[in-house]
Amino acid sequence: MANEVKDQLTSDHAELYDTLTARRYFAKFERIGGHLARVAAEVEAEGKLSRTEARVLGVYLKAVAGTFRALSNKYLMTGRGEGAPKLTIDRHESGFPVAQELMTMAVDAQQAERHLAGMPSETELKDRMVRQIVGELTIPTALQFALSQRYYYEALAAGGIFWARNDPDAQWIANVGERRQYLVHWAVWDTQVNLPVVYLMDLEDSGRKPLPNDAYRWPQVQHALMAQAIGGLKLLTIATGFDKDFADLHPKRLRRIVLGPMYSASFTLQSGPISQVLEGTKAPDGEDWALVWTVEDLVSEREEAVKEGWFSSSVRQIYKLDPVAGADLGATRQERMIILPEKPYQVLVEQNPRGLQGLRKFVVGAGGRLIPTL
Amino acid sequence: MADFETQIKESQAQVAEAQAKISAITSRIEAARSKLDQGAELDVENATLEEVHKHTDLMNANIAELIMGLDDVTAGFSKDFDEMRTKTGMESFIGIFSSAKAESMRQERMRAASIDDKLQDLISKSDVIVKLLQGQLDILNAQKTKVEGNLAGTLTEREETVGALEAVRAEVAAMDPRIIELENKISVEQDAAARTKLETELATLNAKYNALVQDEQVKLAKSQTLERYIEKGKTWVDSLQNQAATQLVLINKLQTDTKQRVVLYDALTSSLKTAQQQDVAHRINEIGVKTDQEAQTAMAAIGAATNDKMADMLEAHEGHMVFARQILEQKAKADERFARRFAAIVEKHDKNAYGG
Repeated sequence: MANEVKDQLTSDHAELYDTLTARRYFAKFERIGGHLARVAAEVEAEGKLSRTEARVLGVYLKAVAGTFRALSNKYLMTGRGEGAPKLTIDRHESGFPVAQELMTMAVDAQQAERHLAGMPSETELKDRMVRQIVGELTIPTALQFALSQRYYYEALAAGGIFWARNDPDAQWIANVGERRQYLVHWAVWDTQVNLPVVYLMDLEDSGRKPLPNDAYRWPQVQHALMAQAIGGLKLLTIATGFDKDFADLHPKRLRRIVLGPMYSASFTLQSGPISQVLEGTKAPDGEDWALVWTVEDLVSEREEAVKEGWFSSSVRQIYKLDPVAGADLGATRQERMIILPEKPYQVLVEQNPRGLQGLRKFVVGAGGRLIPTL
Repeated sequence: MADFETQIKESQAQVAEAQAKISAITSRIEAARSKLDQGAELDVENATLEEVHKHTDLMNANIAELIMGLDDVTAGFSKDFDEMRTKTGMESFIGIFSSAKAESMRQERMRAASIDDKLQDLISKSDVIVKLLQGQLDILNAQKTKVEGNLAGTLTEREETVGALEAVRAEVAAMDPRIIELENKISVEQDAAARTKLETELATLNAKYNALVQDEQVKLAKSQTLERYIEKGKTWVDSLQNQAATQLVLINKLQTDTKQRVVLYDALTSSLKTAQQQDVAHRINEIGVKTDQEAQTAMAAIGAATNDKMADMLEAHEGHMVFARQILEQKAKADERFARRFAAIVEKHDKNAYGG
């Protein structure tokens, strides 16, 4: 019984066991990673993100690219060596590596220094490879594996990586009357949907000490936010819970940016209109993908004083909900963007499926140019 | 998890011991190989192999226990899950006085609950075991390649030896008729000098024959030694292969288990948190909704009042209009009257008929 549940939960996990498949997968994400930054720049230019927010988001996007680079080194020898590890991806409504990959990476990172200390240097490994190739006339698979692992640990030690959990950081924005305004941001690799998710919160602090310097509140805030960073929770749930737990912190706006899923005819299983678009494209390798990007936004409408107990009262935020879908959405608005290469876009325009009409579309043109469409 | 730590240490020691034993056997096989030419016997006896097998079995059992031991780690999770589902003593106590307060305390605890650290712990522990097994597997594979390479060399050597043996045997067989022929000649020879010469020839031939037979025996012994060596080596490779297979099975089992566990625990935590909180959040935001409703009622009331006024005005307008019309009618009558009277005066004036 328990095993059935486990099997069902992992049924959409797929291992990339073939060398070429794994290479293609990482090459695809390297290209997509470059486009993400351009989309962020485009959204900033439209005035939907402030400069600070765009910078924060940019750091996370770079980190995602860094994670893929590190993983690509770790799994460079997939299918070549006998003991070479294999990457597991979630191929339904995600297309990204499963969260356990990221957790394992965190464990690896703890030991990166030790591994690097015990490994021969890059030049030494290459020297040995040349010796084996010239001397024994064989392919130095074991040495190649050792070098790939060295690159992996070097990448982990260098940092700039999107971890399974990226703890909250606060950025001071302005003083509004008595209150200080912060942009608090954190990110997780969501374990349920296996996607990188970035949270941005506009927070007003009416406490006596500035929040990031407050040894009493800040760790609690960080813990609370990380414990609530679950994709299944609505923004309203996270915001009201936080508002209730911390009397002198006022979450004014909460945004959740889900950087995925990535759909691809060759790697993922999809249902609905997007699968017809991708199958209808018959695009060459590297052009058969589409990346959906969701931004949820919850804005506080006003504050109200609420009585707490007999003598005290506190200020609570009342959030504005979408008038139609508000109760289901738990957010003020939700915007979805889709990024895709020219060929799938052509097919998308021809088919014009109802389900994808409301999405903002960005087309990747020749030379990686990004063309926003209306 | 002191138990786990000690168990890990124990397993590590056992693995190290097993590795030492395995390497020792391989090096004995190698040493024997280099001494083979001097005719030394291979001293890897079955007893030693048995001992290694026994030890690796013990080690594997221990590692299997270690994998089961992860269940203790996972038992910690079920405690967490229970805590999320039930109320603490304090909460139950407060619940006697205020169920709302107790519930809100529990909600706050739920919001802060996180099993990420434990998941990370589970992953790192299973990673330690996997590394242990992987190290063992690597050693086994390395030893296997070594012994296999060794065996391949020995096999060619044995082939050569057997070839040489065959050649010697052929030579010996070829000598037989010549010796018989010489013996026959000697038995019929009358001349003493010729007979002596023939006998000398026979003696030389016999000496050569004996040398060849001795050579044959040496070659045979060597071939047999090599054969025994190959047999032992093959057994050892088989044994190494079996051990490697066991390791692979253990590694796969452990990795799959851990992966699935992490997913399961995480899914359970998420769903516990989600189910508990969503409902409450919407209830909390209803503070605002209530106000909104009041505001809307108020707005509606204002709207209604405005309409009433408008209606009143409209209704009153009718009155005004009726009134105005009456006035107009009266005015018209008055005008008519005036005109009639005025007309009479005008006529009088025109006809100059005043007082006339």
